Amino acid sequence: MLFPFRQTRVMIRANLLSLPRWMAIATSMVFSVALVVLVLAGFLSMAAGFERALTSAGSRSVAVILGGGTNQETGSDIPAAVIRTIEAMRGDIGVARDAAGNPALSREIVVPVELSNDQAGAKMLALRGMDPTGPALRDGVALTAGRFARPGAREIVVGDSIARAFAALAVGREVRLGAVTFTVVGHFSSGGSAFESELWADLDVVRSAFDRQGEVQSVRVRLDGAGGIDRLRSALGGLTATPLVAVVEADLYAAQSAGTATLIRLFGWPIALLMALGATAGAINTMMSSVSDRTVEIATVRALGFSRLSAFVATWVEAAVLSAIGVAIGLAASWLIFNGWQASTVGANNASLSFRLTLDGGVLLTTALLGLAIGVVGGALPAVAATRLPLTAALRARG
Amino acid sequence: MTERPYIALKGVRKGYRLGEQAIPIFADLNLDIPRGDFVAIMGPSGSGKSTLLNMLAGVESADAGEVSIGGARLDLMGEAARSAWRAGNMGIVFQFYNLLPMLNAAENVELPLLLRPIPARERRARVERVLDLVGLAGRGKQYPGLMSGGQQQRVGIARAIATDPDLLLCDEPTGDLDRASADDVLDMLRLLNRELGKTIVMVTHDPRAASHAQRTLHLDKGHFIEERRAA
Ligand SMILES: Nc1ncnc2c1ncn2[C@@H]1O[C@H](COP(=O)(O)OP(=O)(O)O)[C@@H](O)[C@H]1O
Ligand SMILES: [Mg+2]
Repeated sequence: MLFPFRQTRVMIRANLLSLPRWMAIATSMVFSVALVVLVLAGFLSMAAGFERALTSAGSRSVAVILGGGTNQETGSDIPAAVIRTIEAMRGDIGVARDAAGNPALSREIVVPVELSNDQAGAKMLALRGMDPTGPALRDGVALTAGRFARPGAREIVVGDSIARAFAALAVGREVRLGAVTFTVVGHFSSGGSAFESELWADLDVVRSAFDRQGEVQSVRVRLDGAGGIDRLRSALGGLTATPLVAVVEADLYAAQSAGTATLIRLFGWPIALLMALGATAGAINTMMSSVSDRTVEIATVRALGFSRLSAFVATWVEAAVLSAIGVAIGLAASWLIFNGWQASTVGANNASLSFRLTLDGGVLLTTALLGLAIGVVGGALPAVAATRLPLTAALRARG
Repeated sequence: MTERPYIALKGVRKGYRLGEQAIPIFADLNLDIPRGDFVAIMGPSGSGKSTLLNMLAGVESADAGEVSIGGARLDLMGEAARSAWRAGNMGIVFQFYNLLPMLNAAENVELPLLLRPIPARERRARVERVLDLVGLAGRGKQYPGLMSGGQQQRVGIARAIATDPDLLLCDEPTGDLDRASADDVLDMLRLLNRELGKTIVMVTHDPRAASHAQRTLHLDKGHFIEERRAA
């Protein structure tokens, strides 16, 4: 049998044309769907943005060496003697070397510092001390203002995320961190990744300012080709004095983000699903009353010979279209409200981590599908009801 | 050898259930209507006139017995087949017109034409022709809400004859109209019967309305108890 296009179309049109009644139905459906979409998009874009901040911080061609039985920077400790041993290693240890043939590495340490900001009060930030090679051992880092800190100088460069939030960190300003006054000499970006939530300074300056002489938490190296990490690991395996682990930078940050992103999703999904359930019940209710409002009209066209299928599809399509409009409005609102919104949380090292909510394709698709499901599921029952109306309603009832 | 009547009910049984209670309407109803006849069915309220008409329309089914129209056995058809049959073979005129208020007169008349593979241009031509036939030429763009009852019923008749069916079923077509409008509508039905050869079955409780028909059947207690045939 041919699909009754013309019948269905005229039935949909007849319904859409009864504007005031339709507006009431449409408004309630569209808004409940939009609200569900908005809430889910909020949570998912937060999780996605958080993940992106951390995963984009990580490069696959950089490795972080950690010591002291931990696989995070916090609590890691690498004795100076071990670093000298690594530097002295000849042969292929999977690490890129500089012009002089030495492994290109950056020794690093992170200390939490408190900075007060005019609006938000005091905030914990991560101050990273690093060798001059540090910035070059990170992919996607670029100066947006000024220059990097000079070795031995009490200078800091500031990630763009915090530079935006703290007027006190403008280039040229002086800022007191711990017992030492630093001069801000530059700002850098890293594509919104976690690095942008850090302050960078010279390793020795940070160590002396915070009384951490001789300490190194992590060593960053650039890997030499795809198999570099394995060769590095086996080279480190030979160092029996101190157990060291080498982690690909990307994996390090992914591991940090996974827990939090999962938590955000675990929190967001039940709320969104619960709301979706409510919205579906609401959709069933409104569409049911829409069908019963149209009893005489539906029965009349059915009595004229319109098929059951057309009555079903007209009602169902209407619900689906309304939910699609709700999805569009919800996504547009989410985009306006959430996308790029800067949020911050407590990240590694107890320091604040800024990230931007991200409405990526996955978030858009997931929320759109949930919104559409409300219409498709919520419209099905009323659509069936529309096919079951007794036709005698047309012949007996007052029109 | 007599020709098989156009409409034939044989041994039709029909009743309703209200909870536990069975309400019998017809126990053994028989009726023959030849093609081209104009029959008025009268009877007290609740005697089953609408029920009979609904069975002829295939909107309700008989509990037992045969309902055949033009050789088609409605009682043997399923819901979808009856729906298709209705679309192709009969027009229905409702007491309360049953026009869709959000569609204008022309669009209302066009409804049954949408069920057939007729190109849009021809549909519009047909709509104009039948609107003209019921005296509403040029009124196609008007909405039902702005029309008098008599005009609405004429739109209803135009819709019923748009597909040029052989059979018109009318349930109290003048029941909601003033006398002048009712006469208009009845004249129109008579015209459709005489000039275009439509078979018409009209339910009414108004003897004046019935007097326009060629033949009047009285329904009482489940049977036709009286018959009058116009000269
Ligand atoms: N759907 C129904 N359920 C129960 N009883 C019904 C139903 N439809 C009609 N009846 C009853 O059947 C009888 C005949 O109704 P109807 O055919 O409408 O009579 P008429 O049109 O002659 O007034 C009435 O008593 C009415 O109450
Ligand atoms: Mg009746």
